[in-house]
Amino acid sequence: MLRHTRHTNRPTLLLIGCLLLARPAAVSTMQSAGDIAVVVNADVPVDNLTLGELRRLLLGDREFWPSSTRVTLLIRAPVARERDIVLRNVCQMTEAQFRQHWIAKVFRAEAPSAPRIVYSGEMAMDIASRNSGAITFVEASQVTKGLKVVKIDGRLPGEKGYLLR
Amino acid sequence: MAQQTAAEHAAQNQTSPNVAEPEYPSLHLSGFGDFGFAHQNRSEGARGFNEGQFVLHLSSSLSPRVNFFGELSLSTRADAGTGNPPATGFNAEVERSIIRFDQSDRLKVSFGRYHTPVNWWNTSFHHGQWLQTTISRPEMTQFGGRFIPVHFAGALVEGAFPAGGWNLNYKAGIGNGRGTVISRAGDAGDNNASPAWVLNLFAKPDRAFGLQAGGSLYFDKITLANGREFRERIVAGHAVWQKEDPEVIAEIASVHHRDVGDSRATSNLAYYIQTAYRLPSLGRLWKPYYRFEHIDIATASPVFQGVLNLDGSIVGVRYDPSLFAAIKGEVRVRRRPRTSGWFLQVSFTF
Repeated sequence: MLRHTRHTNRPTLLLIGCLLLARPAAVSTMQSAGDIAVVVNADVPVDNLTLGELRRLLLGDREFWPSSTRVTLLIRAPVARERDIVLRNVCQMTEAQFRQHWIAKVFRAEAPSAPRIVYSGEMAMDIASRNSGAITFVEASQVTKGLKVVKIDGRLPGEKGYLLR
Repeated sequence: MAQQTAAEHAAQNQTSPNVAEPEYPSLHLSGFGDFGFAHQNRSEGARGFNEGQFVLHLSSSLSPRVNFFGELSLSTRADAGTGNPPATGFNAEVERSIIRFDQSDRLKVSFGRYHTPVNWWNTSFHHGQWLQTTISRPEMTQFGGRFIPVHFAGALVEGAFPAGGWNLNYKAGIGNGRGTVISRAGDAGDNNASPAWVLNLFAKPDRAFGLQAGGSLYFDKITLANGREFRERIVAGHAVWQKEDPEVIAEIASVHHRDVGDSRATSNLAYYIQTAYRLPSLGRLWKPYYRFEHIDIATASPVFQGVLNLDGSIVGVRYDPSLFAAIKGEVRVRRRPRTSGWFLQVSFTF
């Protein structure tokens, strides 16, 4: 009986060992699954943005990348989770405040147009991949090849302390 | 409906491979409108119901680095139908017409007719009544007022520098300055050989997101209709906390005039402070506000003859039943002579 128990426990212990070894990756995947990645076109010469820089991009105070390419801001339509997180965590604004901000921004002649609205993560990434100055926000788990995920304050999605979750 | 729209866009993407590339010129049209009601013990402007301004705003990208902005207003006339030929019911005005060339965030050059960047309110809300919390503008920056030059025709250089998170912005301009009627800009040309200069500097620090603080300098030579000439110097400052919980706007401006003929000088001062607070949770559609304003005109000022001193308070509330429309109600009490009244306004953008 004892011998039998020992036999049955061996694969279990092996499985637990495997799970323990795989634990950091599993946690990272679990965390990044809910994180929103800041994604730019591969040609954008930026790898890291501070919170302040990201906020200025979102609010139209920064209109050009260091390469002098004009920023094309693509943002999900209202109610999307990506938009809610970005407005709350970066802009510290409600939906109404964000919309009023952009109406005023264009009216003050400080920006030629409001952010371009996209209706899905796929649409956001498709346009971002074809527009040399594009920046957008998508679920980290959905990011496809050919786009660059930008660090925010030195952190990527899934890392501890990442802002957009 | 949202799914249908997304599907439409997806289909559009598939059929148009260049959808990511914008087309030029790309014209966008938007507008502002308002209707009001006024009840006053002494008439200072319209009484009863009144149609406010009908404002159209146009913005058009001509290329990735060239943009045009225009603002047109239609304002009701109290003298409609009088005179020969009879005055029209509305006055049309090109409020702003600006073409801007963007080199980078640090350098943008533009030409046209602006709202003078010597005053924060003047360049933040323009003719969009819906954008401002209150019904009325501060008296020092009133349209048609004389205290500061509201409009400016000329050229402007502007830009912004990150400056380690301080986000320093500048605007420097040269233009025609005030016209012979000093409430108006010299749109058709300068009425003397001295151009007007304006410099505006402000910071929007990352560490205090929501704060903007800065100041302006403005120099001009004024030629009045009677031929008298004055050197004008305006020094102004502002501090604004733009979040709504609370919202605080404070501005001060000193306008100094020196007679070119006999060097006699006069100084005039105006300031206001406005606070508002967007109520939390269930009350978030409501935003009560209060403003105190003060204007002190030198008794011997020949340029501001007829401009009255002012100590005034307004208290009111803004209600936002929709994202793009607001209903405001406010009470004004002023000492110049003493006037009081209550006002209602529906304002919106479209």
